[in-house]
Amino acid sequence: MNIQDLMELVDDSHLVLRTLEKSLREIDRRALNAMVLVKRHGSALAGYGVVAQAFRERATFLTKSGLLLHECIAPLIQAHMHIMQNRRYLVIFQTMIEELDRKGKTSPALENTRMNLAGRIAIEEGCALVILKKVIHAAGRMQESIAEQEYIVTNGRIEAALSIDSGAPLVSVSREMGQAVSTVAQSIRSYSKQLERILHESGARF
Amino acid sequence: MKVAPVFEQGSHRWWMIYDQDERRVIDSNVYIMESNGQAIILDPGGFEIFPYVFTAMVEVVPIAAVKAAFVSHQDPDIASSLPLWNACNDQIQWHVPSLWEGFIRHYGALEAVLCGIPDDGGELFIGDRKLEFIPAHYLHASANFHVYDAEAKVFFSGDVGAAILQPGHDAWVNRRMGGDEAKSFDDHIQKARYFHQRWMPSNEAKRDWINRVSKLDIQYLCPQHGAIYSGTNVQRFLDWFDGLNVGTAISR
Repeated sequence: MNIQDLMELVDDSHLVLRTLEKSLREIDRRALNAMVLVKRHGSALAGYGVVAQAFRERATFLTKSGLLLHECIAPLIQAHMHIMQNRRYLVIFQTMIEELDRKGKTSPALENTRMNLAGRIAIEEGCALVILKKVIHAAGRMQESIAEQEYIVTNGRIEAALSIDSGAPLVSVSREMGQAVSTVAQSIRSYSKQLERILHESGARF
Repeated sequence: MKVAPVFEQGSHRWWMIYDQDERRVIDSNVYIMESNGQAIILDPGGFEIFPYVFTAMVEVVPIAAVKAAFVSHQDPDIASSLPLWNACNDQIQWHVPSLWEGFIRHYGALEAVLCGIPDDGGELFIGDRKLEFIPAHYLHASANFHVYDAEAKVFFSGDVGAAILQPGHDAWVNRRMGGDEAKSFDDHIQKARYFHQRWMPSNEAKRDWINRVSKLDIQYLCPQHGAIYSGTNVQRFLDWFDGLNVGTAISR
């Protein structure tokens, strides 16, 4: 992975984690609001109560999925920074070998060190690839959770339409729920696309 | 490494990155100040801890927000990561003591933008907030600066206040020993004593620094090694340092 792609990944990871943090808090708040609204109206909103309960449960699950994604991102960045660090050494050793070569000299010890370092970088690249796949998997799980949540939001909208006579502001509650979920969905979708592109472009190596 | 918030007021924030995983090199703290979306990294650390510092930093601040870096002096635990930071963001302006510019270039990144701080100090604006470069020469390096943020009352004190602590240490001096500040300080300062006696070369420089720094309103005294002194522990530290004989290797 070149440095521009790497920095883009770092910035997008930062952005996706901040969006998740904010939006998941928002989703949980919306879920709680819906539950309170249902309690206040008693059995008249029993149908919406089921939706609100499911929304809250999925919100908890979504938060857990978000944490899992969060936990994978830091090791991915760290692994790439280690690779960058070692590549820096590799460039220095390579320059030294070329300098010696120009003077008609060789240094087996230096060549050996360079080879060892190149080997270490290859191992680190393999590890980084494994972590990248884990992040992609975690993002995929997150997308599945969001799809479930979107399904619940749709049901909420139907229930809200059916309960319009109750006077409870269910339509606006459902709309706010939908907006909060949509923010997370968009953020994760574009992040997943970027991860897939990096995986595709890097092939088996970075 | 861990990240601890030091100060937060709206878009004006300070963080400390501390308790490094790599123990073969001296444990170092790195500080970040952010204001209105712009950030500065203070004493960004050594080459070997760069991956950990970078990963911790991007948890709180995106790399593109880092407009400047401050280097208190020339030591490798302070700035040998410079070429790696420069590779990640070549827009960073490096504020370094003028006296050390040519030395710091030895770490690599000849193309990095280095802005020399004159011996008298200077100031820098990050997101419209002023930071002052306070001279701290001979504490311990011959050209050395600290950073003061008057609004946040944060004073980055470089090696002054440093302590060698065990892995897993707390970010704050006063949160040890069950919250008893005086006891926490007494316990902590034992781990700072040798560092100051041996690394600080001049009692005269020490007294001059204490006279100037005592006039500043400081709530958080943030060293590059160890833990942060806050509240009454700031004055406790200044009093303790005042009474300490430094440069002890000469008398051996």
